[in-house]
Parts: sequence; structure tokens; C-alpha cells
Amino acid sequence: MTKKQEKINPQTLKFLTAVSSAEYSKPTLKLGSLIASVFDASLGVVYVGERASEFHGSSVNMTRQNLDNWNIIHPGLEVLEWALKELKALNPDDESLAKIKFNADHVYEEDGRVRVFLPGEDACRIELILREGELVNQLRKEIQLENYDLAIIGGSQDKRHLAHSLIQYLPSSIFVLQKFNPRKKYKLLLLVDDSKATKKSVQWGALIAEKLGWPVRTLTVSKTKRFGAGYQGAADMAKAYFEDKGIEVEQFFLTGDPVRTFVEFAGDNHFVIMGASTLNPVKQFLFGSKPIKTLERSNVPILIVR
Amino acid sequence: MLFWIQQKRWLLISLALGAVFYFLVPRPADLSPEGYHILIIILMTLILILKEPIPLPAIALQLIFWQVIIGGSTPNEVGSYFMNDAVFFIMGSLMLAVAIVSQGLDKRLALGIIRLTGNKTWRIVAGFTAISAVLSSFVGPHMVTAMMLPVALTLIKFADKKKSKSVTALTAALLFSIAYGATVGSIGTPSGGGRNVIMLNYWAEFGSGSLGYIDWIKMVYPMVLVEIPITTFIILKTFPPEIQVMDTAVRRLSVEVAHAGRTSSREIFSIVLFFGVLYGWIVLSDNVGLGGVALMGVFLYLAFGLVAWKDLSQQVNWGVILLFGATISIGVQMKNTGGAAWVAGLSVDFLRDIIPNIDILRAVVSVALSGVMSNLLSSSATVAVVGPVVLNLGGDPILLGLASVIASAFGYFTAVAAPACTIIYSSGLVRAPDFLRAGWKMAIMSVGSLLLLALFWWPLFR
Repeated sequence: MTKKQEKINPQTLKFLTAVSSAEYSKPTLKLGSLIASVFDASLGVVYVGERASEFHGSSVNMTRQNLDNWNIIHPGLEVLEWALKELKALNPDDESLAKIKFNADHVYEEDGRVRVFLPGEDACRIELILREGELVNQLRKEIQLENYDLAIIGGSQDKRHLAHSLIQYLPSSIFVLQKFNPRKKYKLLLLVDDSKATKKSVQWGALIAEKLGWPVRTLTVSKTKRFGAGYQGAADMAKAYFEDKGIEVEQFFLTGDPVRTFVEFAGDNHFVIMGASTLNPVKQFLFGSKPIKTLERSNVPILIVR
Repeated sequence: MLFWIQQKRWLLISLALGAVFYFLVPRPADLSPEGYHILIIILMTLILILKEPIPLPAIALQLIFWQVIIGGSTPNEVGSYFMNDAVFFIMGSLMLAVAIVSQGLDKRLALGIIRLTGNKTWRIVAGFTAISAVLSSFVGPHMVTAMMLPVALTLIKFADKKKSKSVTALTAALLFSIAYGATVGSIGTPSGGGRNVIMLNYWAEFGSGSLGYIDWIKMVYPMVLVEIPITTFIILKTFPPEIQVMDTAVRRLSVEVAHAGRTSSREIFSIVLFFGVLYGWIVLSDNVGLGGVALMGVFLYLAFGLVAWKDLSQQVNWGVILLFGATISIGVQMKNTGGAAWVAGLSVDFLRDIIPNIDILRAVVSVALSGVMSNLLSSSATVAVVGPVVLNLGGDPILLGLASVIASAFGYFTAVAAPACTIIYSSGLVRAPDFLRAGWKMAIMSVGSLLLLALFWWPLFR
């Protein structure tokens, strides 16, 4: 496992998206592919299937080996084959991607996962991964192994339960695609405070604003009427960073309950970027955190930066 | 750290519950300290088996050391119950399954089934159910399902012409005919499943009598024969197939399996060995033991180069064997320390007011305990834990033991109980609610069949 970079490197971005089936994952894959192509990032597509009870695990493995003899492939590989086909259809101009052929026999096991060998995958920067086990645990392992910068998660899942665990335990930044419309011109809303993650949030904000040309707003919310030096300093740092990149920024300072203020301000036309919580894990687990609460209460796409 | 706690919460819960019972909850006056401690270990183990927060071999290891640390047993005592004919059988049958499945005989089997059933869907479903049941009754459901599943999936692939998954009911009907057929059949003979051999082992260990291979068949097989057509009916009614005649699919399957060519001498020899093992189980097992025969069969497959040790060692889950050894050892300790008798007494006392007839009460406790637990745990683990309790209920231990073993095959509601159900679930083509849709009907049918067997058939023998 590599230590998470303090700064994001726009030249070597790695995004990860999880797919579950051709039936349900089409929107997530489509947006994941689009976002990766906008940022010129490599894209890992991971299928996480249920692991059979260990009691009957050897019987299941024996059956799968026998199914191989009949040229019947693992259901997860079927989904990954579909994903590759979809990615080709979504990127018709990508010649290197068009050349790649899926072969279910060309898979190899490494580090507790199965990786589909794609000849020429370096050129098109796609990886297809099959994992089995509990979803959050497997995504966490995959992110740690490959040091992904961003995990792209569909917004249609059971928000309260799954998003809570994903935000809490995934060691990368997370983009939750709830109600994300790629044709819509969003305003970028960057939540700025004195937390450590604000610096990296600003970097992400600048990168997105540069790529998509969206207007940028920063929002700093204080529970009291007074804005401390930390908050003011963070807002100034954000403004300076954007201006240094030639991006105009509007600053807002509001008072009130932070989560309620974020949600009301975001409405339905903002793309929210906020830092991951700095609360200790036990407090987060027991009382939730700003990102989790914001996600639960809002209906806009959110990028939670870690 | 928090992530580790979240992932291992059931391990922590099991340890915490164990500590609470050990240190804080007073021991019932009529239960020995050793018996109480063994029951605490079993409670902790059941949580771990149910939620699997740690690997199965680790569950087996904790069973061993807890028995020594708080169960009042010596290491040699625990070890002496660890290896017995039941564990030999489970080990041998897992290895035999790998050896036989790797021969590629399933293509011959597919051809045989098609010739027998023709191309009408209902006949294919009936054929799958019957063949899975009969084969599984002798060689166990895991091997049969591993061989039958490719046949079913190939038929489905050819039937789903547009690859649009438009034949979901047909898919469910074919897959459930294999899984439920194999599960229904697995009670038919002692070699049909590990749980059957575990019960034989408990009868011998506890001095409760014995039941020969042929005697078991005489007492139980009629139930299998009755259940086969009813299972077919239930499956066809629950999942009415979209296609009534599968002529194209059957024709294409025939062409596909015809590519396998003529039967080779290697295949013929492995079939001969397979029937040799079956013969051994029927004729020799009363003296040599079912495990002994299974291991002889594995030895011959290895000796004649029909399977490589590397394949066996890679594909057999040795952790499961370790766990069964440990579970059986604690089952015996539960009996020896009086823990099993205490649980049996408690169950009977609890229900005595509702069911005054003691014979019916014992039967209900035996069937209910096994039936419910088998839907949560594996059926073999159920018998390993429930067996000693059932044999302490009083009454005829052979009949109650048989009822318990049969009821432990009633794990129709979930994908975890029976290996056949887990295997079809792992195909990704049937969903958890499908097990419920058909499972409740299967459970009613099976309880009814068991009742008829116990009331009208078993009195002819005991």
C-alpha cells in the first residue's frame, strides 16, 4: 500500500468505479467513463460479487472449474465483459480501446483478486477487476492496492447504509453521482473550513473548474457570528489558489448549522466539493459527520475529498 | 482500527457474550460447570459459524483451545475425538468429488439425461430432479450439482436465443430442479451427506445402536421416491417455464457434448472405480466404515493416476475438515459433560404444556431444532451440534436421529444450508427471494413426507 499523496497529480490520476450488473450499473459506468476521459485518468472497473459461505466454498470452486470446461464463465466476468463492451461503445473514437479483446481465459489471480488481462491495456488505461466478498472491504482493499485517487459511486444505492460505510472507510476521495447530469452546467460549490482536507479540496475544485469551465463558489459556514482566523485563512488560501490558476471565485460566509446551510445553499444546481471529516472514527461512527449528513440530506452530486 | 472493529464485530460480540456468560451469568444448578462451559463455547462458535467474521479453520482452532482452557478437557481427550470415520468420510468424499468431476463425465451424463427426457421442458425438469436426487443419495449433493450445473446452464444459454435473460423462470426451474433434487436425495443413504455419517458416528459413540447401509435405505429411501415427483411439481408451479419445448436447445446441447468423442478407456476405468466405491459403501461400510471406503476410492484414483494430488490439495477445503473434527469433538464433550442432556431437558420442559404427548414432543423438538438451524448453518454443522441434544431427548435414538438428519436437509429457504443451493446461487442466475418462493412449499411438503414416513413406514421396522 502506498501512502496517499498530499497533492493530486493531474498527469497520473486513477479513478475506480464499481459495477454490479448490466441491468443496474449502466449509468454509473457511463458517468465513470465520461469523468475519467474528461480528466484523462485511468479507469479501474471492479465487480464485487458475493463470496460463497466458506463451508461450501470448495464445492463452488470445483463447480466453477468444471463450468470453465464448458466455456461458461464466472457471472462477474460476464459483467466485466459487458463493461468493456459498454466502454467501447461510449468511446467510439478511442482506437486503442477498440483493439482490446476480452478473453475470459486470460485472467490471473493476484493479491486476493482476479484481474482480466487486456492486451494493450496500458494504452487505453482500463483495468477490469473481479473481487468477491463484502463490498466496502473489497473496494477498500482495491483502493489501497492500486492507490486510486477517486472512487466513483452510483447514487442510487441505499444511501443511508452504504454511503455511510463508503465515506467512512474508503481511503480515497469519493464522488457520489447522485442526480448527476453530465449535460447540466453546474456551479462548483466548495465548502471551505480550517480542516486539513480543505487544501486538497481546493486542488480538486481547481482541476474540475479548469476542465469543465464551471463557475466556482466557496462557502464558509460558522456556527457563531464570528469567523475565526482558521476559517478566514482557509477562505483566503482558496481564493488565492483559484486566482493563481486564473479562475474567478465568489466567496460566501454564512452562519448557522453547517449541514443545513450547505444543503439549502446547494439547492439542486451545485456540484458540491467538501473535505472528508476530521472527527475521530469513533465519533464519526456514533454521531455521523458533515459529509455523511450532507450526502443524506441533499440531492446534488458530491465529491468528498480525502 | 474502527474498520477492523466493524469487520470483526461478530468475533467481538461472540467473545463478549462468552465472557458475560462465563463471569456474570450464574450457572444453572442442575448443570455441571464443564457442561455449562461447553455450552458457552458452542454459543460462541455458532455465532462465528453463522457470521463468518474469521476464517473457518480459525473457528475450528478456537473450539480446540477453549475446550482445554475452560471446557475441562485435556488436549489428548479433545484430540481423541477429532479424527473418526465421519471426518474420514467428509475428507474422502470431498476428494472423491474433485477426482470424479475432473474426469469430464458430465458430458456423458448430459447425453444420458437428454436421451431419457426428450425435449419437453417439464420432462427435462423432472429428469434433472430425479437424476440429481438418485445420484446425490449415493455420492452427495456437491458432486452431483457440480456435474449437473454445466448441463443446465448450457441448455439455458441455447434456450435464451437473444441473450436477453428472457427465460428467468426456465432458468430458475432448471437450477432449482438440480439443487432441490440433490438436497432431497441426500438423505437417501448414509453416503448421501456428511451429516448422515456424523449421526452414524454419534450413535456408535453414545452407544445408541447402529443402522446398516441397507437398513438406512429401507427406512429412508421411500421418502426420497415420494418427494421426487412432488418437488418437480412444486418447481414447475413456482417457476412456470417460458418455453414448453426445448428442441433447439436440446439439439445444440447434443451437438456440443458429441464433440467429447467416444468414451476413453480412462473414462471407463474411472466409472468402474466410481461404481466400486458405491459397491464398497453398500457392502463393506458396516465393517470398514464409510470413511474407510471413501479413502480407499481416493487412494485408487491417485494410484492409477486419474487425479493428481496437487489438484486434490488445492481444491479440497481442508479448513472444513478441521472444523468438522472440532465440531464433532465438542459434540461428544457436550454429551459427556451433561450439557446435551440439559438442553434436551430444557427443550422438553419448555414445550411440555403445549404438546403433552412425549413421543410427539421429542419428534417436534428434534425436527424443529434441526430444520430451523439448517437454514442458518450448514446442514452438517447442524447435525454435529444438534445431534447430541436429540440423542438425549429419550425415546428411540435411531428414529429421533434419523428424523433430525432428515430435517437438517430442509434448508430450502436460504442459499447457505445445502451445498447444492450455495452452488446454484453462485451462478448469479437465481436470487435469494427465489429460495423463499419455492422453499416454503418444499418445507411443508418435506415435513408432511417425514410425518407420513414416521407414522406409517418406520413402525414396520422398529
